[in-house]
Amino acid sequence: MKSLDPRVNRLPKVGHPGQVEPKAPLDQLGTFEVFVQAKEGKPFQHEGIVHAPDLEMAFVLAKEAFTRRFTCVSLYVADTRHVYVSAMTEGNTSAWDFINLIEQQPGNKDSYEIYYLLRRGKQHQHAGTVQAAIPAEAMSEAKKLYGTKLVYNVWAIRTADIRFTSPEEKELWLTLPEKKFRDASDYKGGDKLKEFLERTKV
Amino acid sequence: MNNVALKELLYKMADDQLILGHRNSEWTGMGPLLEEDIAFSSMAQDKIGQSHALYQLLHQLGEQEPDTVAFTRNANQFHNCVLVELPNGEYDFSLIRHFLYDTAEALRFDMLTRSSYKPLAELAVKIRAELRYHTLHANTWVKQLGSATEESISRLQHALEQALPYALGIFEPSPHEQELITRGIFEGEHVLQEKWIIQVELVVNQTQLSLPDQKQIKPVYGGRMGKHSEHLQPLLDEMSEVFRIDPTAEW
Repeated sequence: MKSLDPRVNRLPKVGHPGQVEPKAPLDQLGTFEVFVQAKEGKPFQHEGIVHAPDLEMAFVLAKEAFTRRFTCVSLYVADTRHVYVSAMTEGNTSAWDFINLIEQQPGNKDSYEIYYLLRRGKQHQHAGTVQAAIPAEAMSEAKKLYGTKLVYNVWAIRTADIRFTSPEEKELWLTLPEKKFRDASDYKGGDKLKEFLERTKV
Repeated sequence: MNNVALKELLYKMADDQLILGHRNSEWTGMGPLLEEDIAFSSMAQDKIGQSHALYQLLHQLGEQEPDTVAFTRNANQFHNCVLVELPNGEYDFSLIRHFLYDTAEALRFDMLTRSSYKPLAELAVKIRAELRYHTLHANTWVKQLGSATEESISRLQHALEQALPYALGIFEPSPHEQELITRGIFEGEHVLQEKWIIQVELVVNQTQLSLPDQKQIKPVYGGRMGKHSEHLQPLLDEMSEVFRIDPTAEW
């Protein structure tokens, strides 16, 4: 019986004398990219990844992994394999310089969400939405719209590949602003420790 | 106005949330995946917060402070259903309990948003919002594991059969049932149970699990009257350990 937990399946089995065989490939849960909107009207921002068996599970796990503290009004996730990335640049070189303007592609147009990196070491931020037949065309369209801005990396994700927060799910964060106790600063742990040490000093 | 019926309702709901919140928090640091550990711990914290808010309502009705109520009563003074005090077992049982219980609570607090007792109706709006996540979490896992592998399906099926008699104990009728209904405070456990079974079936039918016929099962009652399993008192002893040493301690 195969376990659901990849870690269990990866446990080495007792072998046999003379055994020489290739190492089994790793069997891990895949990763999903998590995007969070902190306030209404503010752009979505990439916050990190979660491991999950599928897109829906990723949404569920991302909610607590990334939005249990601070503020959030909406969240979405996409399979890492569905995120297309441009070249990364630095200094005065813009990522747009490495994106080719291409002509209109044949076929049905899909909507793509465009993200860019405004500062190295920060998170990718949502720029807007473009229509394209393929990811390279989405990048090209994005360059036409935002190409004058100095950015260090560009992402394109097909909108249909995203698991969004539905309007009725917005209440998931209704009580979040009240959960100040989840912020480390709210404990005032240092102050309490200092006070305790003072109090117990002989 | 006599508040005996209302207090009894608030106590059983608050005790349910407190005890299950504590049980679920026992998974913290030991969840099956890092992300799941965080999610389950957050929900446990939500439940403790919900119990606190309900104890506050009781305090406004003349009962003692929430901490006193939570930490100084003995097992036979608690009104939680037996389901929530059972040991965590393996993750399959904890997950099924979470699914069966939170399905009921999400419906209960939705009903209570229309309660004639305004402070409860207002609080119910907030609790319902938190429970939307709890049920989304539970349903997603049950759908996932209930259709995944031979091991996951058989584990969940076994846990479901084990938990169901206790889950039916959630709906143990109160002696004040009719008064609550007449006064428009709560539509009653019977109505809740009817809604619950429909919702449970809806999710289970999307999996390879089979739901035993609840009419053939004898519900485990008694919790609402203070009759508990041997598992509750040790939980209370552990939960109230710090408070009993120093009631003024902050942590």
